[in-house]
Amino acid sequence: MNPQDLDDLFATARATGADASPALLARVLDDALAHQPQLRAIGAVSQARPGLWAMLTAALGGGMSLAGLGTATMAGLWIGFVQPASLTNLSDVIWQETAMDSVELIPSFEEFLAEG
Amino acid sequence: MPFDALSDVSDEALLVLYANGDPAAARTLTLRLTPRVLGYAARILGDRAEAEDMAQEAMLRLWRIAPEWRQGEAKVTTWLYRIVTNLCTDRLRARKRRSATPLDDAPEVADDSAGVEASLIAADRMTALENALAQLPDRQRQAVVLRHIEGLTNPDIAAVMDIGIEAVESLTARGKRSLTALLSGRRAELGYEDEA
Repeated sequence: MNPQDLDDLFATARATGADASPALLARVLDDALAHQPQLRAIGAVSQARPGLWAMLTAALGGGMSLAGLGTATMAGLWIGFVQPASLTNLSDVIWQETAMDSVELIPSFEEFLAEG
Repeated sequence: MPFDALSDVSDEALLVLYANGDPAAARTLTLRLTPRVLGYAARILGDRAEAEDMAQEAMLRLWRIAPEWRQGEAKVTTWLYRIVTNLCTDRLRARKRRSATPLDDAPEVADDSAGVEASLIAADRMTALENALAQLPDRQRQAVVLRHIEGLTNPDIAAVMDIGIEAVESLTARGKRSLTALLSGRRAELGYEDEA
């Protein structure tokens, strides 16, 4: 046995190859189909849509803006319920002697008809 | 996509198609890669039934990793050979643990002895080669089979076996010398003298 003989043996082995039995091929293919990811629709959106809260937060300018808005809302509610004395006095000064007059900016329909 | 249309598509592209849900890619990869994986495992283990188990397991791992496969990072065949090499190494170690002496392999050796006395035609040369390969140390056998039968390059073998290229060259050279020595006494039986 010389190196050339060995190379010939290798060449024969390369050419021969292994025949996978139909049963083995069937088992491998079964595995392949069982583990294959489902067909993806072309152009499908892979990212999950953001939730309502996330969209609202983004629309208002993020978390910091939301915190400021929340503070202002709570302050308004507090002022409305408690009605600090200074504010009550101020509103009395403004509205005390002022009569509310109604101004008719648009004439009534009947008058318009009567005048022709 | 028609089955024939995939015959020229690379393994890596087929794997991407498979991961995208193309059943034809699954069939093409199965038919293309299973015989290669099986042949390599059979030559390393010397046992057809065990080799079929290894081939199925290696292919199963390929299906599982397909969605995460990054193109350009490695060749599919190199990755598969590496998986098979590791699986076969584990199996060979388990085999050695089960038996301190390699009695489990005795039928192979006995068949070999019987084969010496039988008429040796071309098919018998393959048997002689496989039996000689079986007598090599595991790492030498893996390197020789990958280099001279599976046709991998030395850098690919280095990646498969997780060793340096110089170590690959050393293993294949020693393996070939050992094979030549193992088969040298059988040159006439293998019919080489008539051809010389």
